[in-house]
Amino acid sequence: MMNLWRFAVFSLKHIVLGGRGYYTWLLFLGLLLALGTFGFSQQVMHGHIVSNMRDPVPWGMFIGTYAFFVGVAAAAVALVVPGYIYHWKPIKEIVILGEIIAISALVVCILFVMADLGHPDRFWHLLPVVGTPHVPSSMIASNVMILNGYLILNLVIVTSSLYRAFTGKPQDDKLFLLLVFISIPAAISIHTTTAFIFNVLPARPYWNTAILVPRFITTALCAGPALMLLAFQALRKAHNVAIKDEALFRIVDIVALVMIVNLFLLFAEVVTEYRSATHHSVHIMYYFEGINGSVGLRDWAWGGVLCNVVALLIFVMPATRRNFIAINIGCVLAIVGVWVEKGIGLILPGLTPGLLGEIYEYTPSASEAMIAIGILGAGALVFTVLTRVAGPLVLSDLEES
Amino acid sequence: MKTERERATEKGATSRRHFLKITAASLGSLAAVPGSAEALDFVLKNFREVSDEYLEDMLRNLERGYEEKYGKPFSVEATGPYDDVLFGYGLDLSRCKGCRRCVHACVAENNQSRDPAIQWIRVLEFDREHTQREINLDEGTLFYEHDLVPAPGKFYIPVACQQCEDPECTAACPTGATWMEPDGIVVIDYDWCIGCRYCMVACPYGARHFNWTEPHIPEDEVNPDTHLLGNRPRPHGVVEKCTFCIQRTRKGRYPACVEICPVGARKFGNLLDPDSEIRYLLEHKRTFVLKPELRTRPKFFYFFG
Amino acid sequence: MAFDPEQIRRIHPVARWVVFALVALAFVAVFTGQCALDRNTARAYPSRALPPDVEPVLLPPPEVDDEYLPCDDCHEDEVVKVEPRELDDHPEVELDHGDLWCLDCHAVEQHELLQISNNRLTSFEESWRLCTRCHHEKLPDWRAGVHGKRTGQWLGSKEYRTCVACHRPHSPNTGQLEPKPRPLRAIEVQLSAVAAREEAPRDED
Repeated sequence: MMNLWRFAVFSLKHIVLGGRGYYTWLLFLGLLLALGTFGFSQQVMHGHIVSNMRDPVPWGMFIGTYAFFVGVAAAAVALVVPGYIYHWKPIKEIVILGEIIAISALVVCILFVMADLGHPDRFWHLLPVVGTPHVPSSMIASNVMILNGYLILNLVIVTSSLYRAFTGKPQDDKLFLLLVFISIPAAISIHTTTAFIFNVLPARPYWNTAILVPRFITTALCAGPALMLLAFQALRKAHNVAIKDEALFRIVDIVALVMIVNLFLLFAEVVTEYRSATHHSVHIMYYFEGINGSVGLRDWAWGGVLCNVVALLIFVMPATRRNFIAINIGCVLAIVGVWVEKGIGLILPGLTPGLLGEIYEYTPSASEAMIAIGILGAGALVFTVLTRVAGPLVLSDLEES
Repeated sequence: MKTERERATEKGATSRRHFLKITAASLGSLAAVPGSAEALDFVLKNFREVSDEYLEDMLRNLERGYEEKYGKPFSVEATGPYDDVLFGYGLDLSRCKGCRRCVHACVAENNQSRDPAIQWIRVLEFDREHTQREINLDEGTLFYEHDLVPAPGKFYIPVACQQCEDPECTAACPTGATWMEPDGIVVIDYDWCIGCRYCMVACPYGARHFNWTEPHIPEDEVNPDTHLLGNRPRPHGVVEKCTFCIQRTRKGRYPACVEICPVGARKFGNLLDPDSEIRYLLEHKRTFVLKPELRTRPKFFYFFG
Repeated sequence: MAFDPEQIRRIHPVARWVVFALVALAFVAVFTGQCALDRNTARAYPSRALPPDVEPVLLPPPEVDDEYLPCDDCHEDEVVKVEPRELDDHPEVELDHGDLWCLDCHAVEQHELLQISNNRLTSFEESWRLCTRCHHEKLPDWRAGVHGKRTGQWLGSKEYRTCVACHRPHSPNTGQLEPKPRPLRAIEVQLSAVAAREEAPRDED
C-alpha cells in the first residue's frame, strides 16, 4: 500500500515539476485545450450545425481523423511487440513507449467520437450491461468494444510495468508474454473493425470493397511508426533517453516496406475502378478529377499521393534513409499523406456525390478545426504525462546498456 | 396492470432488466415532476425494454413538456401495431407530377423542423432523354424549379424511407435505437439515439435526416397528435425519417402523403390483406424497388399504372 | 522460439484476471447486447385484432354547375342536328377530348342525361358509367383504388371518387400544377437563420 502511495507521489512529482522547457510545453498544450474547449462549447450551444457536416455528408474530419488515430494506436503496438518476440534488442526496450503512444492515440480516438456524437451525454448507451451495444452486427459498436478493451489492456500493462519498475522488481516476462499473445491480434483487430465500419456498407460502393481492410492496415503501419519516429526523437532530446539509432532505422525500414505495399494497394484500387468504369467509379473519379466543376478534393488527392511517394523515396534512397533530417521530413510527409488518404480520401469521396445526387463539398468549419486541435493537444498531454513518469523509471535504464 | 410478455428469454436480458428496474424506480419519481420532460432527456432505457408503467410516465411527461413549449394540448401515444398487418406502399410513377405537395403535407403532419428545414420526402426530377434508359438515383436533381410541373421531357421519383424488410440502418445502429416494428415500420427511439449518424451513412436511399441543431416548428403549425416513435417533436442531435405516419396508420388512417397527392399516385395498405390495393397493384402492375441488388427488400414499390 | 511453454503455465495472477475480465466482458457484451435487442425484436405489445373489412365508399361527384340548368329552358322542343360541328353556344366549355363532340356523350333528347349508347342512358351522378364505356381498362384499377386519389381509412371505409372529381369531362387531361418550393441545398442549411430567429423578440414571430 505504501508503495502505491509513493508511486503516486513520485508520478505526480514528475508530472507537476519540471524545467522551463517543460512548462512552456504545458502552457502550449493548455492553449490548445482551451481552443478546443471553446470550439466544443459552440457545438454544445448550437448543435452540430456549427460544423460543416450536413445530411449528404454526415461524417467529416472527426471520423476521418478518428480512423487515422485508430491506425496509429494499432501500429504503435503492432510494431514494437514483435520486436519483443524476436528479440530485436534495440526495439525490445521501447515496448512501453509504443504502449504509451497507443494509449495517447486511443484517448484521441475516444475524444473524436465524443465530439462527433449528436448526444455525447448518451455515450453510455454503447456500454455493455448499462446500455445496449448492438454487437456484433453494428461495426461501430464492435469497434468501440474492442477499442475500449484494448485501451484497458494497455493501461493495465503500462501502469503495472511502471509500478514494478518503481518498486525495483524486474520486468515481468510472463506478463509481457501475455501481452504478446493478446496485443498483436488486438492491434490488428481494432483496426480491422474500424475498416469494417466502412466496408460492410453496400450503400457506399466506394468503401464496399475488401481491399479497404488491408489498406487500413498498411496506412496505419506507415503513419503510426512515422509518428513514433518523431516522438522518440523528441523524447531523446527531452529526457536524455538513449533510444538507439539502430532501433529508429529499423522502424524506417519497416515504414518503407509497408509504404510500398500501401502504394501497391492504391494502384490496384485505381486500376480496378478506372478499368471497369462502372457507375460506382464516380466516387474515385470525383476524388482524383472532380465532377461537374466541383474539384474540391482533387489537389488534396494528388498531393497526398505525392507525399507518400516522396516519403517512400526518402526512406529507400541510400543518401537519405539514414539522415535524420531527411527521415523527419519523410515522417511528416508520410503522416500527411496517410492523413489525406484516410481522413480526406476515405470519408469524403465515399459520401460525394450523395445518394440522391447532391454534390456537397465539405471542408471543416472553424469550430471543427478548434475541437480537433484541442483533441490533439489532449493526446499530446496524455503522452507527455505518461512519458514524464516512464522516463526516469524505465527509459533512463537504457543509458547503461 | 398489464403483464409484461417477454420476447427475449436470455438470462442476460432479464438480469439486466432487473438491475435497471431498481434504478428506474428511483428515477421514476423524478419523472413525475411536471415540466421536467426536457430536463429528463436522460431516459434510462431503450423503448423496447421499458415497463408499461414507466412508459406511461414517460408519455405524460413528454405531453406536459410539449404543452409548455407550444402552448396547446398535446397527445403523445405509443399505440402498438395491429396483428397480422405488414404495411406496404405503392407509388405510380406515370402519375407523379413532381408538385411536392406530399413533401409539405408530410412536413406539416410530422412536425419536421422548418428552420433548418428537414424534409422526409425528396422528389427527384429526371430528364427522359438523358437517363440512358436507366434510373440512377444520383443522376436526377432535387432542386428543380419550374412555374408548372410536370416540366416537358421530365419525370419524377419521390424518395423517402423504403421501410426495408432487411434494413441496413437497423443493422448499423450501435445502440439498437432503431429497429423494425412487427407491422413493418422502421422506427427510431429519439431518446436512445446517440446521434452517431452511422444509419445515415448506411442507408442506401438517403432517407434519414439529422437534427443538426434544435429543430424549430412555429407554434401555429405544430401538430399536437403525436406518436412517441413517430411525429412527436424531436430533440436536437438525433436522426429522424418517414415512419409511414405511424400516428395515423396505427389508427387505420392513410399517411398524409397518400391523402394529399392530387393525382392519386400514392397507394398504401396491408400487404397481408389479399383485398388491399397494395396487393392488387403488386399482382397486376409491373412493380419494382430501388437498388434491389442491395437485397434490402424495400416495402416501397414503384410502378407505372 | 521466443517463449517457453512452461512460462505460460506460470502466468502472473494479475494478468490472468485481466484476461479473464476482458474475455468475460466480451462475452457479456455479446450476449446482453445481441440477444436482448436484436434489430427485429420489438416491444412486447398487447394483441390488437383487425376489425372486419368494410366496403369501399364511392364519394359523390362534385356539384354540376347549374348556371344552365334546367336544359329544357332553352332546348325544349328543339330539332337537333346530329352532325358533328363546331358550336358557338356554351362558350365556357373548352372541348379537348380526343375527337369527341357534344352529342357523343350528351343524350340527344333527354338533355340532362348522358348517353352510353343508343338506348342506355345515365345521369350526371353516375357519369363514371359513361367514362368507362370507352376507358373500360381503367375500371378494375379504379374499383381497386389503384387508379385515382384515395382517402378515408385503409382500415375501415376506403374512399374513392368518380372520374369527374379529377378529370374535367370536357378536357380531361389533368394538366400541370404549380410546384411547391424546392428543398434547401445542404450548403444553405446554416446557423445564421436559426440564430437570427432566436435573437428576435418573441412577439415578432
